[in-house]
Amino acid sequence: MEIFLQLVFSGIALGMIYAVIAFGYQLTFATSGTLNFGQGESLMLGALVGLSLVGTIHGGPYMGYLLMIPLVIAFGALQGMFVEWIGVRPAIKIKSEFGWIMSTIALAIIFKNVAENIWGKDDLTFPSPLSAAPFTIFGANVQPMQVAVVVGALAIMLAVEIFNRKSIYGKAVVATANDRDAAGLMGINTGRVITFSYALSSATAAFAGVLVAPLTLTGATMGASLGLKAFAVAIIGGLTSGVGAIVGGLILGIAETTTGYYISTGYKEVPGLLLLLLVLAIKPSGLFGKAAIKKV
Amino acid sequence: MNFKQKLLVASLVLGFSQLSPVAYAADPIKIGVSGPFTGGSAPMGVSMRDGVKLAVAEINAKGGVMGRSLLLIERDDEAKNERGVQIAQELINKEKVAATVGYINTGVALASQRFYQEAKIPVINNVATGSIITKQFADQPDNYIFRNAASDQIQSHMIVEEAITRRNFKKVAILADSTNYGQLGRADLEKALDAKGIKPVAVEKYNIKDVDMTAQLLKAKQAGAEVVLTYGIGPELAQIANGMEKLGWKVPLIGSWTLAMGNFIDNAGKNGDGTRMPQTFIQDASTPKRKAFIDAYVAAYKPSGGRMPSAVSAAQGYDSVYLLAAAIKQAGGTDGPKVRAALENLSEKVDGAVTTYNKPFSKTNHEAITADLTVFGEVKDGKVILAK
Repeated sequence: MEIFLQLVFSGIALGMIYAVIAFGYQLTFATSGTLNFGQGESLMLGALVGLSLVGTIHGGPYMGYLLMIPLVIAFGALQGMFVEWIGVRPAIKIKSEFGWIMSTIALAIIFKNVAENIWGKDDLTFPSPLSAAPFTIFGANVQPMQVAVVVGALAIMLAVEIFNRKSIYGKAVVATANDRDAAGLMGINTGRVITFSYALSSATAAFAGVLVAPLTLTGATMGASLGLKAFAVAIIGGLTSGVGAIVGGLILGIAETTTGYYISTGYKEVPGLLLLLLVLAIKPSGLFGKAAIKKV
Repeated sequence: MNFKQKLLVASLVLGFSQLSPVAYAADPIKIGVSGPFTGGSAPMGVSMRDGVKLAVAEINAKGGVMGRSLLLIERDDEAKNERGVQIAQELINKEKVAATVGYINTGVALASQRFYQEAKIPVINNVATGSIITKQFADQPDNYIFRNAASDQIQSHMIVEEAITRRNFKKVAILADSTNYGQLGRADLEKALDAKGIKPVAVEKYNIKDVDMTAQLLKAKQAGAEVVLTYGIGPELAQIANGMEKLGWKVPLIGSWTLAMGNFIDNAGKNGDGTRMPQTFIQDASTPKRKAFIDAYVAAYKPSGGRMPSAVSAAQGYDSVYLLAAAIKQAGGTDGPKVRAALENLSEKVDGAVTTYNKPFSKTNHEAITADLTVFGEVKDGKVILAK
């Protein structure tokens, strides 16, 4: 039983990372029908910028961990706006169906190369703000930082949801998500809302980056596989549902750790991907997604 | 023909007859270097390249080989098999190299070196360790593949010897990555354990870039492992050491030489202390030759903190060039079959950073490194020291 709990705890921590990134995919998909395939790279850049601020690699540390978080979030927001401006806006303007796919992927590669030049090609250690020594819950070991990841991930998603539901700007986002043309007719500047959603999306990814960095290693290539798995999570949970991202993330995270233990570590990626295929076959809009009717 | 014309013809003929040998002598000898200079195995690739460059600079400063300077053609194979193959074809057909040194990744070496074998151009593997590398073409009349790195066979025996015989562990777990390197090494480890009559209690696999080792470590822990043997590269090995701390489980870590990589030591921090691995070279000025090599390397490339990112790769890269230069000199040219024959019967003793090579290769033995040239290193306070 302890073993199972240990696996579930590890799976939850892993799954919440996926969930936050998947949540970022959803934010931009809702408003513009486009995705930033460089979401993993946004996370990577956030983590590396955070490392420069709190670590010793660029002459630091300049500040503590908590002080660094708002700066990284602001950086993420700017980076997201940049992606939208360069990669997505032109595609939306000419109503290109696929242009944004290529351009966000291209930008992701550029970001990776830039990061390799600034921070080097090696994986770096992110100083942990909390003690690395684990404590025990029901016989399973949990690191304080793992708890922080889960809490932090939930907090940022909750904050975005509250913002969208309660504030006037958030309502503009929701309105654009529901019907972009109608929202435009109501006087909402939908272009700006899309830019904003990209900023929000990359900001959450950057925040996720500094959350996971103390647990994993930080480096230019850390984003690629996380971004891809989070994409699977977004598909499993549904691209239109915040709850879906969390549930999808937890399913994938726990599936990976339990399969690794009970079946074989060689197959640990398989169940999550099988689930992805299953969802696509049976409920293509995702477990929690609304089926979209495309009017032609 | 008047005198002037005669003079012109004479000077032309003279000029040509002089020009060609001069041009020939000044023609540099091209040597290919293939290794990963980016990615997870970059510390090894870059250190190897720097060691190679250092040796070439020294040889050229002394007038080159037979009056010809050495020219390196460096290519980044990104640790990808298909890149390695492209580079091999480019180096052979376009650059027309006399020989190639390098290869960090066993998979890349196995995919690429068949082109050299077909073109009859020697390859000296100076880092890649897969046991089969030098035996890939052993059944052919002439084998053009040489190595001056400790093969997995040597390493796995040493690892098992250390864990079972010297430290008396009975229950061992193996953690290896899913690459060619990890899986071939795992097979060698299992074979070596089998020879001692021991069956590992857990054999686990992980992928490059995996961030969570809980499942693998839990299995080893549940099986009661007293020691974890590893076959992988730096960053993931650090995840294993850090994952042990996550689980609050600490057993000794013994594994292949990659545990000496800077990116393992830095990322594992205190969790890496006490880790042991076979090494052909430790950054420790134990002989005058080694001191000269380490000083020259640190002065030329200024590694951060004065620590070579992968001292073994640098030393073996350095030695591979000296071995090759000696063979070219003995062969009296860059003709592939002659250089191969010279390598197989080197009359000159080659003074390298790892050791002084005395007839390192023969027709049937293409391995310069033997078990008694290999020692155990131990990670201590961010450095690799000689294990006591």
